[in-house]
Amino acid sequence: CAHAPSAPEPPASQPAQAGRRFWQGRLALQVESEPPQSYAASFTLSGTPEAGELHLTSPVGSTLALMRWQPGQASLQQGAQTETYASLQDMTARATGAPLPVAALFSWLRGQPQASADWHADLSRVAEGRLYARRLQPLPTAQLKVVFEP
Amino acid sequence: GGMQALAQFVESARAGQAAFTQVVTTPPRQEQAARSKTSSGQFEFQRPGRFRFDYQKPFTQTIVADGTTLWMYDADLDQVTARPQEQALGASPAAIIASATTMQALQKDFELSEEPRRNGQDWVKALPRSKDGQLQSIRIGFAPAASEGGAPQLATLEIVDSFGQQSLITFERFTLKPSLPASRFQFKPPQGASVVMQ
Repeated sequence: CAHAPSAPEPPASQPAQAGRRFWQGRLALQVESEPPQSYAASFTLSGTPEAGELHLTSPVGSTLALMRWQPGQASLQQGAQTETYASLQDMTARATGAPLPVAALFSWLRGQPQASADWHADLSRVAEGRLYARRLQPLPTAQLKVVFEP
Repeated sequence: GGMQALAQFVESARAGQAAFTQVVTTPPRQEQAARSKTSSGQFEFQRPGRFRFDYQKPFTQTIVADGTTLWMYDADLDQVTARPQEQALGASPAAIIASATTMQALQKDFELSEEPRRNGQDWVKALPRSKDGQLQSIRIGFAPAASEGGAPQLATLEIVDSFGQQSLITFERFTLKPSLPASRFQFKPPQGASVVMQ
């Protein structure tokens, strides 16, 4: 008897995305305060929400900030100063620099929705390396645009 | 040597343009091997204080210093960021190429020292005096003058930041000019782009 056709292959990128631990591209964050504040940088994101690193560099190539985290500890280096925090969540909540939703980025960049009361993400163009997200709270609202290598 | 070439460049190069290639290399860390990214485009400058980097590959990005404001436009993000120029540039490599018009002015921001000749170029090391810890060192390489008695050619900028990230910018077809049209250094944000002043 004919072999049952094998299940259709999941989209090629699917399995690779699940285990993916490295992304790079550029991001722009605009905080709609008065006056508005904006951050634009090239980035590399590596690891997992539990242990990893976010490296932000200026368009001309010098480092703006290096965020690193592992269970029980997180650090933010900018120029000569280093601030340490208890966790990635604590760091992104309190870091004065770009208030980036780093943990959520890991899921969004894989095209996986991540329930978040604060941020609403548009993942419709993730396959083309485009991600948009809006922060609804805490105020002021903010808009994140990410262009990355899919 | 390098110092003499830099002095001649700073004091005589009024304006110019070149093709550039930039290789940014991130040192190995924790679980990451060393990585490098290459980009390229056109560079133009007009002393004092005006320059532009038009990145064409792998993506479109424009950096224009118009003398008072540093504009950065990323086409994919459709985002313009503008910052007061001296706040953004003081101790940056661009200040060397496009701002200071005398060695004394340059020495206000950098500690300059001669370095040995290397791959056919004369070198100067510039250590930023500002302690904001952003940049560790800048090295400037000059190729010998193309023609007899001509000015040495700015060929290479090696920038190392305080995290060990190296940005290597090499210039080709560097041509000096008496001046460039002012419009080259005026930036008008594209229609619809989101613009934020910092």
